[in-house]
Amino acid sequence: MTDRLSRNGLLSMAACAARQIREHHACLSALDSVAGDGDHGSAMLRSAEKIERAVANAPENCLRACFEQIAWGVFDADGGASSSLLGSFFLGMRDGVPANAPSLDCRELAAAFQSGLRAMRKQTPAEVGDKTMMDALIPAVEAFSAAAAKGEDIAASLAEAACAARSGAEATRHLTARYGRARWLGEKTRGHPDAGATSMALLFEGFSEGLRSRKGETGHA
Amino acid sequence: MRMKKFINRPEDIVRELLEGMALAHPHQVKLVGSNLIARATPKSPGKVGMVTLGGSGHEPGLSGFVGEGLLDVSVAGEIFAAPGPLRCLEAVRLAERGAGVLLVVLNHAGDVLSSNITLEMAAREGWNVRRILTHEDIAGGRDPADRRGLVGFLPVYKVAGAAAEQGRSLERCLELAERMERNTRTLSVALRTATHPATGQAIFELGDDEMEVGMGQHGEAGTGRMKLKTADETAELMLNMLLDDLEVKAGEELLVIVNGAGATTLMELFILFRRVHQILAEKNIKLARAKVGEFITTQEQAGFQLMISRLDPELTGFWDAPCDAPYFTVR
Repeated sequence: MTDRLSRNGLLSMAACAARQIREHHACLSALDSVAGDGDHGSAMLRSAEKIERAVANAPENCLRACFEQIAWGVFDADGGASSSLLGSFFLGMRDGVPANAPSLDCRELAAAFQSGLRAMRKQTPAEVGDKTMMDALIPAVEAFSAAAAKGEDIAASLAEAACAARSGAEATRHLTARYGRARWLGEKTRGHPDAGATSMALLFEGFSEGLRSRKGETGHA
Repeated sequence: MRMKKFINRPEDIVRELLEGMALAHPHQVKLVGSNLIARATPKSPGKVGMVTLGGSGHEPGLSGFVGEGLLDVSVAGEIFAAPGPLRCLEAVRLAERGAGVLLVVLNHAGDVLSSNITLEMAAREGWNVRRILTHEDIAGGRDPADRRGLVGFLPVYKVAGAAAEQGRSLERCLELAERMERNTRTLSVALRTATHPATGQAIFELGDDEMEVGMGQHGEAGTGRMKLKTADETAELMLNMLLDDLEVKAGEELLVIVNGAGATTLMELFILFRRVHQILAEKNIKLARAKVGEFITTQEQAGFQLMISRLDPELTGFWDAPCDAPYFTVR
């Protein structure tokens, strides 16, 4: 059996990621209320709704176009910094997908994730340790790439990425924020995980779950 | 403290406030497209377009300054959150009259990111769009990148907007905007918190007998939490910090703005302004132009922003030029 991510596999990943945000947005707002004004969850929910709409109206048979549709959907959400960053991530993933590709193998998906990460890096100087979305995204993309390089399949690689994203997000609990509005609160931000990093972990957990459920139904991604 | 506000459904706040602003000022602005506030009568072709963007909940900023001689389009985001890049791009398209567009962005992370992506997309479309970032809050430290944009957007809108209205080029408007921005400094002080109108949450905590100098528009911590001072002591403390930072010398001319944060009364603002005037007179610095009132607020936050700008004859000329927006009219 060939291990490839199809259009429907991608849409299932995106839909499940959006559902994760929808189910946890109140918790994201509660985390943000420690370091911000308590609206990160509602901002992410607006992005999630746009992702769901993009999935429902996704173009046929072209992964690049699907990523692009999701990116533009997120850019259309008034989600403050989070929608600009997340939209950049999806647009970066699009740039990492070969033109007209109907599906991706695990290494090609790793390249797309790397491209998404590069696009985020163009928008933010934050690194691991700065208590932002990047604390979850960077380890997630690294874990996915490492698993892909070892020859693991897409589902296993995504599961490792989700695990790494969650550990990265949890590790922000002990940090103080250095970017965004939260950095002005300094020490007050210590003791709770960063809301943005937690969002990113939820997205990767959704990607992983979305792919698993799709594989469960059809036997392939 | 429980929030008490006249709102309907939290998710409708932004749409409803923009509708109300447009309905209240039909000769100056209208609500178009994806909730954009635009001039009621578009600028004539061949002139530079002026666009700004920023979160809501700070009324009358920023949309209250759309009008002849000021902004062409304002993109209001959700409460305290930047608008998405697609709506900003729509605003740029709307404001483009064949001479390019100047995007005025207050230095806050979300707004800067949205404008970065807007600029990239506009460049891909082949449009001539330039950006000025305003960052005059001296509480941010020495590095301009760390300084937030507060009420200092107002003189930037005003001089660049006047130049655009007079048909100056995009490069020229940008140069004036940059000169105005470089010569502007703001410092804020907070007495009492605001609540986020959608979540009902207090955005910071401050003791009953305390004030915080340097508090940002969203409860970003400042540098100076201290016991509450009198109006005269507060004005003196803040003005001296601003004069030092801008390196103002005797004989120079200043524009001064005292901007109420939302719950501080005009009574207090006038008492403060009077002391600013006295101190400047003692130092032989000319208070050439002034505005006292609410231009950018944070809900029911108590406190104010004190802004000074160094004027030169050309900037003064553009400051005095006619304009007609809901919250800024010069005839």
